[in-house]
Formats: sequence, structure tokens, C-alpha cells
Amino acid sequence: MSILELRDVRKDFSKLVVLRGVNLSVSPGERHAIIGPNGAGKTTLFNVITGKHQPSGGTILFKNREITRYSAHARNRLGLARSFQINNPFFGLNVFENVRAGVRSRMGLRYSIFRGPGALPKTDEQTWEILRQVGLDDFAQTPARELSYGRQRALEIAMALSTDPELILLDEPTAGMTGEETADAIEIIDRVTAGRTLIIIEHDMDVVFSLADTVTVLQSGVVLVSGAPEEVRQDQRVKDAYLGSD
Amino acid sequence: MSRLLPRAVLVIALVGLPFFVGKFHVSLMTEVIVFALYGVSYNLLLGYGNLLSFGHALFFGLGAYTTAVALNHISGLGFFSAVILATASATLVGFLIGFLILRQKGASFALLTLAFNALFHAMAIKFTFITHGDDGLSLLRPKINLGFATLNTPDVTTFYYITLVVVGAAILASWYFTTTAMGTTVVMLRENEERMKFLGYSTSLTRLILFTVTGGLAGLAGSFYALFFSFVSVDAISITMTTTVLLITFVGGSGRFTGPIFGALVYIYLQNFLSDITDRWPFFMGLIFIVMVLFIPGGLVQLIEDIILWARVRWMPGTAEAGRES
Repeated sequence: MSILELRDVRKDFSKLVVLRGVNLSVSPGERHAIIGPNGAGKTTLFNVITGKHQPSGGTILFKNREITRYSAHARNRLGLARSFQINNPFFGLNVFENVRAGVRSRMGLRYSIFRGPGALPKTDEQTWEILRQVGLDDFAQTPARELSYGRQRALEIAMALSTDPELILLDEPTAGMTGEETADAIEIIDRVTAGRTLIIIEHDMDVVFSLADTVTVLQSGVVLVSGAPEEVRQDQRVKDAYLGSD
Repeated sequence: MSRLLPRAVLVIALVGLPFFVGKFHVSLMTEVIVFALYGVSYNLLLGYGNLLSFGHALFFGLGAYTTAVALNHISGLGFFSAVILATASATLVGFLIGFLILRQKGASFALLTLAFNALFHAMAIKFTFITHGDDGLSLLRPKINLGFATLNTPDVTTFYYITLVVVGAAILASWYFTTTAMGTTVVMLRENEERMKFLGYSTSLTRLILFTVTGGLAGLAGSFYALFFSFVSVDAISITMTTTVLLITFVGGSGRFTGPIFGALVYIYLQNFLSDITDRWPFFMGLIFIVMVLFIPGGLVQLIEDIILWARVRWMPGTAEAGRES
């Protein structure tokens, strides 16, 4: 049984075909890395899975429910969350409010004109808990736009966690980090996503092979190979297409 | 204490106003309060939610016309019944129009609101059997019977106090709105509409609620506008009335709660002063608007804050940082 299943998912932007029929199956609890050269369609795949874009064809199943035509917010409410490759918080709001936005959404306090954003029990406690997990608790009152780049990356992860998702998609969470920062970030990601299903886009091969238990190689909008890290590492097509040229 | 004191002074000043100034200024201040609510409602839409509407006069005018028409045609209709009816009709139309255009964004949203405004403006001109077209509609303010006393609403000072309480309460309710969960959600709409969706928020629903609420508030302001002048003309629902609220909001300071309140104060007094001197007062209003937008984008509130900060640095160097934080 899989938590997420993609069947022949295609996506084109007018004449530009980005996804040419992706088949993918992710099991509950899996730590699934997606790799591939620039332009392979990794971020587009995330956008199609999370509802930013509607697929041009194919079927997406989440927890055995077809969500192909669901809106992004409906998918999130089913337990699917994501981060962005380029920092994308509410820049004018402080760190605490950025994270609480997801926590209170999960609790159903989205549009009330009678209650404050922290009115429900545990909202603030859970927000602090997430901030502590990613090491942002000392910056709770700092506006997101005043955070350093690295801390904005941490906020991306915190926001993805904030709706307590079963499936979490992280789009290059370590983009723009040094080797040391990357190691720290991966350690945090590994810890905070424990018990959840993780799909991660990552360029650093050391990270991929240490964190992931399944690796999918995407190339030119199709899955080249998907399997255990060692299997993928040994695959001749992958060596030719991707790893060899690195 | 430092937060409470200015508020107490403001309340005392507003309540005591009729004892210190003549009827002329009491009347002008009544108008200021009405336009402050109109500005506050628009600021929630544009300054907080980043929804640029060119049709806000539609709700203001609808509130005004509903009040006038209802008082002319429903005999024995009470003061507050007319106000509630006007607010309710503006809220309902806000919901219906919001529902039709909630998927439109940016320029197309702005143009559609303009189109709806033009439609209602045309209706006000053409449906002469209820609106009297260009002649306008006059009305009599009904007296308010409180049981133990009767409020003589045609009296300038009495009407000022009624406006201060009712419209003032609506302004306070608008402030409360900004502190609620929905208030924060509205700011999220401004800051990053895309990200909201991936946290489980429907941006369409957020826009619809905001559009409906601000429509209702503008309708309430419009109702008091009609009662204030005891008259409604097509001016109330014209594009010029939309421009007026844009001016009030931008001159006062968009995105800050007190901005349009200052904006309304300056607009009403300036309009009164300029229109005494020249018939071309809109020209000077326009000039002021351009200068403000170009040189002080934060509006009057920004200007006042900068002056206070400058004064603190100049005269009380030690307290400047504390002042910045509060």
C-alpha cells in the first residue's frame, strides 16, 4: 500500500512538455529522494503533486483517494505539505506568526472574526515546539524578511511542518548552504520528519545516499529509475545520464 | 500608561467637542467620522488585504440610497432600522459581487469592481422612479425614541453624538477585526497569497469574506452620509466617491489602521477650506495626493511618526530607542 501514487502524470506549459508520464509510488514512512539534472522537472513534479499546477494528464492518489483535481488548500488539509526552493514565507510577518498560520489552520481557526489567532488551546505551545525543533525560538518576534538566508531556510521547513502533515515535500531545503550548514540542516530534517513520509529534492549526493531509503532519478520528465540507493548508484543508465557527468 | 493616555485624551476631546467649538465644526467633525469609517473599510481591503478595488463607492452609495429610499417609502421606519437595512443590503451586494469576481486578481479585479460601480451609478441615474435621478432624494431624519427620552436627531450636536457612538463603534469593531484570526489571514493575503494555499487556506474564501465585510462597513458609512446631509444624489455612488476614498486612504497612510482616520480629517477640512476659495479645489486635492504618494508613501501617519522620532532624538536623546519600540 502506498501513501502517494502517481500514474502517468503529464504536465505541459503550452508547447513546452515538462513531465512526460511520471509513475511513482511512495510508501508510508518512506524517505524518498528525487534527483535529476536541472530541467528534469523535479520542481514541476512537486507543483503538480501539491496542487500549484493541475496536471495535463494522469492520476494522483493520496492515501488511496484521487486528488488529481483538488485545490492546493484541500490537499494540504488532507495531510500534504511542502516547502519551497526559493524562500517563500510571509515576509512582513514575524517568525512566530508565519508558523502559527499553519498550526491554527490545522486546528480549523482560519477565518474567525470573533477569536484571535492564538485563541485555541495548544496553538501557541505547538508553534513554540516547532520553532524549537528547527532552532528558531530565539527569533520568534523577528520579521521573516530580517532573518538571515540560512534561518529563512529553517523557517521554510518549520512552515512545512506547521500543518502537521503525514506527507512532507521539501524542495531543495539545503539550496545555497555550505557543506557544514547542509550537514546540520539534514540532521534537523531527519529528526523533525521522523514518523512522517518525506519526499525531498536534493542535489548533494552524499546527503541523498545517507538520508534516503528510496531514490528516484528523474530525467527529461520521466522516471529513469526508482529504487534503493545502492541499486540506483549501480545502475548503468544513471551513471551515464547523471552521476557520471557530475 | 503611555498607550492609555492618548486614547483617554482622544475620547474626552471627541465627547467634549460640542462644548468647545461652534456648530460649524461639530458638523464638520460628524462628516469626518463618517468618512473615517469609509476610509477604514477601504484600508482593510487595500492596505491590509492588498485588494485594489475601484468600486468601493458602490457600497457607500448603496448604503446611502437604501437609507433614503427606505425612509421615504416605509412609513414609520425608525432611525436604526434604516441604518441596519442599509448596512445589510450593502453586505449582501458585497457578498454577491464578491462571489462573482473572487477568482479575478490584480488588474482584472480592479476593472470589474469599476464596472460594477459604473453599473450601479447608471442605475441610480436611470431608475428615476425610486432614485429621482439627477435631482436626488431628500429625507427626514426620524427621531429616536429611547423610552425615557426622545433624541432630537435633526439637531447638529445630537446627531454628532449618535454618529460618534454608532460609527465610532463600527471603527472600533474594524480595529478588533484586525486583531482576530481573520485579520491575520487578511494580512497573509497581502504578504504572500500563494503560500497561504499550501497551509490549508482558501484564498477565494478569504477574499470573499473580506469583500463582504468591507462592503457592509462602507454601506454603514454611506447610510450616515445620507442621514448627515438629509439628502442623497448620484454623487454618493459615483466614481468620484471611489477616488475620494483612495485619496483619504493614501494621504492618511495605507496599511496602518489610523491612516484613513487622519486622512478623513485632513480631507474634509481641506475640502471645506479649498472649496471656499476656489471652484477648482479638486485640482489642488489631486496635487496633494500626488505629492503624498510620491514623497511620503507611508502617508500622514508616517510623517507624524517621523516627526515624533526626530523630536525625541533632538530633544530627548536617551528615549529615542524606547520610542521606536513602542
